This record gives sequence, C-alpha cells and structure tokens, in this order.
Amino acid sequence: MTTTEIGAQACYVYGIVAADAPVPDGLRGLDGAVSKVQHRDLAAVIGDLPRSRSIGNRSDLLAHEQVIDSIAATTTILPMRFAAAVDSPQGLIDEMLEPYQDQLVNALEELSGHVQFTLHGEYDHDAVLRELLTQDREIARLRDDISKLSEDASYPLRLQQGELIVQALERRRVVDAQQIHGALDRYAAASTEHELGTPSDVIDTAFLVEESRQARFERAVEKVGEKYAGRVRFRLLGPLAVYDFVPRM
Amino acid sequence: MSVASQQQSGGYIDRPANRGLADVIELILDKGLVIDAYVRVSLVGIEILTIDARIVIASVDTYLRFAEATNRLDLYAHGGKDLPELTEEMTHNGAKGKASGVLDAAKDKFDEAIHGDDEREPERARRPRRKERAE
Repeated sequence: MTTTEIGAQACYVYGIVAADAPVPDGLRGLDGAVSKVQHRDLAAVIGDLPRSRSIGNRSDLLAHEQVIDSIAATTTILPMRFAAAVDSPQGLIDEMLEPYQDQLVNALEELSGHVQFTLHGEYDHDAVLRELLTQDREIARLRDDISKLSEDASYPLRLQQGELIVQALERRRVVDAQQIHGALDRYAAASTEHELGTPSDVIDTAFLVEESRQARFERAVEKVGEKYAGRVRFRLLGPLAVYDFVPRM
Repeated sequence: MSVASQQQSGGYIDRPANRGLADVIELILDKGLVIDAYVRVSLVGIEILTIDARIVIASVDTYLRFAEATNRLDLYAHGGKDLPELTEEMTHNGAKGKASGVLDAAKDKFDEAIHGDDEREPERARRPRRKERAE
C-alpha cells in the first residue's frame, strides 16, 4: 500500500475513461458527487464512500449503473465491477492506473466508438405451446391420455409430456436463435451469449456495436421483432456501457 | 464519441427507458474490470445473489409446469383472455425471463439481507411485490 493516510472515506471506483473524457456535471453516485482522478492518459471516475458503510442494496446497484451509463452516453468507459473500492485516489493511481496503464489504454482504444446492446427474447407461451400441440403428435396424444386420468394417475405422463415439450422448445430455440443471430451479427463487432434462464428463453445476448452502425443494428432488431411478432417477445436494452466486453486484467 | 440517447419505442421491441433493478442486476453482476487492490468493503447480499441468479429451475418442476400449461390450453381459443391461472403464472415467471422467476427469488433473498440490516423488514413484508423501477 501507499503511505497515504487512511481517512474516513474510501474511494469508490465506477470506471476508467480517457484522461480528457468529459464527465457530465451533477452526477450522483452511491454516496454523493462523482469526480475524476487523472493519471497520464487515463482517468478514473470515482466517488467518496464512507469506510464504515455497507454497500449492495437496491439504490447502490442502481446508482452504480446510472453513473456508468450516463458517462457511456458521451464517452467510452470501462466499467469496474460493482463494489470496487480502494483506500484513496492515490492508492488507485498506484495500484491500478499506473501498473495497468498500457492495458487500460489499449482496451479503451479498442472499445472506443462502441456501445453495447443487450437483447432478450422469450417465446410467447400460448402461441408456442399451441404450435407444439398442433405439430407434435406425441405431445397431443399425451394430452388426450392425461385428460382421461386423475391427477395422481397422470403424473408420469405429465412428466413425460413436459419433458417432450421442453425438448421441443430447445430444438426450436436452436433454430430461432441461429436465425436471429444471422440477422444481427453482421451489424455487431462482437457478441456474448448469456446463459438462458428458462426453457422459453430464445436469446439473451450482449452485442458490441460500433456507433456508426447503431442505427442499422437497431433497425435490424426491429425487423427481427416484426418477423417473430406474436411468437417471441423481445426486450432491448441499450445503448449501454460495454459491460460484457471489458477485457480481463 | 456520442450515443444517441433517444429511446424510441419501435412497434415490435420493448425498449424500456428506465431500467429496473432486475435489469441492472443482469447488466452489472459479475461484469467489469477487477483489480486486486480493493479494500474490503462490506457487501450486503451480493454473494447470495451471485449464486441464486444462476440457478436454473429444477427440471421436474419445469416439465410439470409446461405440461400443465399445455394441457389447459384451449386449442380453439384465440383471444387468450380466459387462459388458466397456471399459464398466467408461468407467463409471469417467464415473461421477463431470468429477470422474473429466478431473479425474483434471488432478489427476495437479497432484499431480505438488505432490509434485515435496515430494520425495514416489517414494512417490506406487508408491501405487495411489484415491479421495481429505476426511478
């Protein structure tokens, strides 16, 4: 550690920007105002954090995101992972900005001019289950059998049918996700697929998009939405900071 | 570099202008730069959350829910207004994907952890769960 005196305030770090990058005035962070500490070609976006304070509640998470994405609206920021705090601004320089200078500068240069979009798509249950019932004989046959049995007696059949449904959804998802990627990947510089949460999820992917292609990417997403209207519900977040694309240090 | 910040809502895509807690958790959890110089700040709930947010619903339960929803589906109804409760429940669980069913569970534990600290537990217990919004 440094010889800096340890005060009552720790230093919360939101992200790393270029030294001359603008940071909007009046940003409020987890615990008050947000400021910048510069070192050579880099600057860190920081704020005070009382050393005794626990963090991790709802407003802390929202504040972290809001600071980062407000900055991302005007400049490239490498977001820090939530809950990054160091002893002091000088400590941040000594332990991060100086030793990782080259890597951070390179990462900023590479990601400069890019934003992230996160697309989540999920099957409309009614529509897709109805399709399965009309297209899959086995699932339909099981439905008839189950309807004739008591709840207890139909348990194994329901389990079997449910498994078939989940498998059918999975096969469908592979095809649909491929088509969606086929329509969008050409407008993106990179993409990261997230683990899907439920069998009815179709896609959950972060796309890194060059700003000059942003409008085209957004139009392409809209077209995908139109194509799948009534079958898949899409939710698009962004433009965002490049959360999913910061390199590991 | 500047990002057009208009959040025009196209006809087919949901583009929320305000991000709720579930969205934010999805966005920032486990993402971003990590360095080894951190002081230990005391975290509330985060560890619990990282683990729970990754749990995928157990398969037997999933199979039964899908079977039930399918079997209660009225094949000839197209309005979908009188759909069975369970389908609705499933849709609710699924509608926001990870952001709802699974994450809600995580969020509950998470809130518990937070509000336990804040002594706000009794108030919270009476509050009906609703969708959280950023502002």
